[in-house]
Amino acid sequence: MTCDTSPAKLPTIAASLSGVALIGLGLVLGGTASAQAPGTEDPNNWPQYHRTSNAWRYSPLDQINKANVGKLKVAWIHQGGDITHGLQETPIVIEGVVYSISANNHVSAIDAKTGREIWSYQPKLDPIVKKVLFSPYSRGVAVGKGKVFIGTVDGRGIALDQKTGKEVWQTQLTDFANCHGCNFTSPPVIAGDVLTFGSTAGELATAGKIFGVNADTGAKLWEFNTIKQDPKSWPEETAIYGGGGAWMPGTYDAETDTVFYGTGNPGKDFVGTDRPGDNLYTDTMLALAPKTGNVKWYRQEIKHDVWDYDAPYEALLFKRDGKDLLVHLNKSGFVFVLDKNNGNIENIWRLSETINFVKDIDKKTGELIDRVDPEIGKSTLICPWAGGARSWNAGAYSPKTGLWYTAANEICGALTPVMQKTDPKDYGSGHIGSEDFGKLQLVPGHIPARIDARDPITGERKWTFELKAPSCSTVLATAGDLVFAGDPLGTIRAFDAESGQVLWSFNTGSGMRGGIVTYAVDGKQYILAPSGWGSYMALLLPSVFPDLRNVPSASTLIAFTLED
Amino acid sequence: MIGVELIAMTRITVTACIAFLIFGGLPANTHCQEAKMPDLKDPKVIEAGHEVFRSKHCSYCHGSDGNGGVNLTKRDLSDPKYVFQAITEGREKNGLRMPAWGGVLTDEQIWEAVAFVMTLTRPVK
Repeated sequence: MTCDTSPAKLPTIAASLSGVALIGLGLVLGGTASAQAPGTEDPNNWPQYHRTSNAWRYSPLDQINKANVGKLKVAWIHQGGDITHGLQETPIVIEGVVYSISANNHVSAIDAKTGREIWSYQPKLDPIVKKVLFSPYSRGVAVGKGKVFIGTVDGRGIALDQKTGKEVWQTQLTDFANCHGCNFTSPPVIAGDVLTFGSTAGELATAGKIFGVNADTGAKLWEFNTIKQDPKSWPEETAIYGGGGAWMPGTYDAETDTVFYGTGNPGKDFVGTDRPGDNLYTDTMLALAPKTGNVKWYRQEIKHDVWDYDAPYEALLFKRDGKDLLVHLNKSGFVFVLDKNNGNIENIWRLSETINFVKDIDKKTGELIDRVDPEIGKSTLICPWAGGARSWNAGAYSPKTGLWYTAANEICGALTPVMQKTDPKDYGSGHIGSEDFGKLQLVPGHIPARIDARDPITGERKWTFELKAPSCSTVLATAGDLVFAGDPLGTIRAFDAESGQVLWSFNTGSGMRGGIVTYAVDGKQYILAPSGWGSYMALLLPSVFPDLRNVPSASTLIAFTLED
Repeated sequence: MIGVELIAMTRITVTACIAFLIFGGLPANTHCQEAKMPDLKDPKVIEAGHEVFRSKHCSYCHGSDGNGGVNLTKRDLSDPKYVFQAITEGREKNGLRMPAWGGVLTDEQIWEAVAFVMTLTRPVK
């Protein structure tokens, strides 16, 4: 497998180096090299959700590597307190400070060497959050311009002073009380001077939106409706309840001044008969201009979705053979390889082995071939299930191996769509057109849960590691030739990136749902793992993975490092 | 009337409930049920509760037969007041969360759901 680019061999923090000054020099040089290979920028920090804008979740740090990962020890532990729905964040780490968010939007700044809290902040939330579907968790914060930015579970954007945690501004963005609980469960994106926020929607009887906000003042600049106001796409009043939304973090590509967002499913999830049309812009990769919210291009991946195949997952960027590519998995189990500049399809490949909702997707046009639309009142077995061939936990790409490391599941769901009335008071029940998300079923002859190492463009598989239950934890790849992944039973593993051999593991005590990161402070590298089981996976998966019923929840950050 | 406790609520009406609130203290976490608790074994009440269970997607988490990801069939839910309070106020336990349905469902609907849920469980021996 040919890598996209060979990263410049940066001064590494080899364990054999004994001089602190020399190590410090190595770190400084690594951070200021003028021609940074993609994915290697700002090596000591984890400054944004996926570490770098290409969403690789790759770190060039290699002090912890294949030879010594077996010697990792716990450096410190931080308890988030409220364990409701676990700890789902990817923490941000900048210049020796961890910025963490736990349940009910509790934000902490933590010393990255000791785990001691520097400051904390928690907004007073609207009492309605107790009733809404998507609460009280958050997948992270954004840090930049001297501020820590959060999107709250009651639909606000809030900016805090990075040093003190004092509130700088707050802005109510969603019509929280009237949109069935539409809110933010992910961090905003810093796109120059603009902050973009993507709301939840999908299962809510509302139309999800993306907001552009002045990062310095909090003033709302624009609002993009992910439900296209077009009667051909959404006849009659269906657009009012269209769903969609963009509930995962987007990414900002400074090269083209574009913010990329994948959008959520249309509503009602499983009944499409009253919304004939393609239902734009649901299940769509959007390229937006951050200053205006204007659409530069879009690629709808699942037209007229009736299976709940949201498409908000990470958008990995590559340069390959002179092309700028965007690689994007959605819940359907298909991975779309698009032209980053116009959304044209370059390839489509299957992460899931058991797809049956369509016969295929046309690789030239993107049209769904021989789709299976479940009938009202009848049970139809659909694969993958509504939870997807993978959940929102992102994979990671290593330019050293050229491989994308991602969780994958083979689970089907027996769906029985039903007609459903919309109740304006409903916050917690959802607007889905079914009594459940489908009865889960495993597929004989197929590994139900695994970690795959794949070529991101062709899908060719290099290795697979079988798990006892679906991994819902976001992966980390490092220049130490390591891949870190966690599972819902609480085990974090370090894999040999080339072979998939497990080189180290540790029981974190609770299932893992958040993003594993790495950083360096004063010449020492740390692996930081959120541990705390929760989310709707905790509620839904136990029906076919009964071991998960007994997993205790938590809200714990565990930092690992090497012995001195 | 200080310290009067709400014990058997089967015949307590709204008026009496208000009297307690004005003149007496209520134990913490006690919900003042506005609707009478119906006959929880009445098949019509149970069927109405099944409809609530279906239409409000309790099945998401509990499964249509109670045997879903959050399994009700193995819990001791024999105390109707506890079940009513759980549905009304929501639950956060072991990191899992059930939304609060008070103010979204009427108390009558919640009692109906109680009746259905209690058919799913078995009493602790």
